[in-house]
Amino acid sequence: MTTYSFIYLSVLDSEEKMLSDLAFILTENNIVNPERYEFMLVISEAFTNALLHGNQLNPQKKIYLQVTINKKQLIADIIDEGELGLKEIQTKKPSELYGSNGRGIDLIRHYANHAGFTEAENGGTKVSIVMERKLEEITF
Amino acid sequence: MEITKKEVNSVAVLSLKGRLDLASGAGLKDEIKALMDKENNLIHLSLADVDFINSSGLGVLVSIMKDIRLHKGRLTLSDLASYVQEIFEITQLSHIFEIFTSESEALASYQSVSAS
Repeated sequence: MTTYSFIYLSVLDSEEKMLSDLAFILTENNIVNPERYEFMLVISEAFTNALLHGNQLNPQKKIYLQVTINKKQLIADIIDEGELGLKEIQTKKPSELYGSNGRGIDLIRHYANHAGFTEAENGGTKVSIVMERKLEEITF
Repeated sequence: MEITKKEVNSVAVLSLKGRLDLASGAGLKDEIKALMDKENNLIHLSLADVDFINSSGLGVLVSIMKDIRLHKGRLTLSDLASYVQEIFEITQLSHIFEIFTSESEALASYQSVSAS
């Protein structure tokens, strides 16, 4: 089991930095598509939510990402320092087909085997993701 | 994200490479706006080299499509990787975008529309 921790400022460029960091550790652990893409997608949706709705692009506030990779699961916690993120998630309306936003939480729920949305110890929002590994079946 | 442009029979063809997300989406929007300012409203996006797209990227594509249709233009997409195609289907956006298997197939569709 390997655990990685990252801290990002709440600025637009942080999403690119986070995706690059994530791509690096997934490559290091030989995690390939579609598992790689699906995990990156789910983390990026939670991260964007933390950036825009939780921390509201306030550069004074940080986003904490912890990723754990083991043979059976990909696990991530994404924590922001905002006050409104959790309420927005809990009161989210269904996304509109022609809308320009509102699909992120739906994608998290579609791809993650477990997605938890709770209040973090710091008062922000904590998104906890668990994705079961797609291990190759062994045939005899 | 890198954007390569060419024009084929009055259709602006943009080939995208890299990630289409919150940060890179603004650049794509600017490119499309510049084309529409020149009254070029027939636009094809080749996504063959897009290795990542999230809901922010999808939102940018929806916004672009609405702008183009508002100006009586047309937007087509092609060459989606299977995992990119899948999120168009999950979000049901595959119902509102014109998605083609290949760039040549998409460009041929513009010819058949103008011929009819």
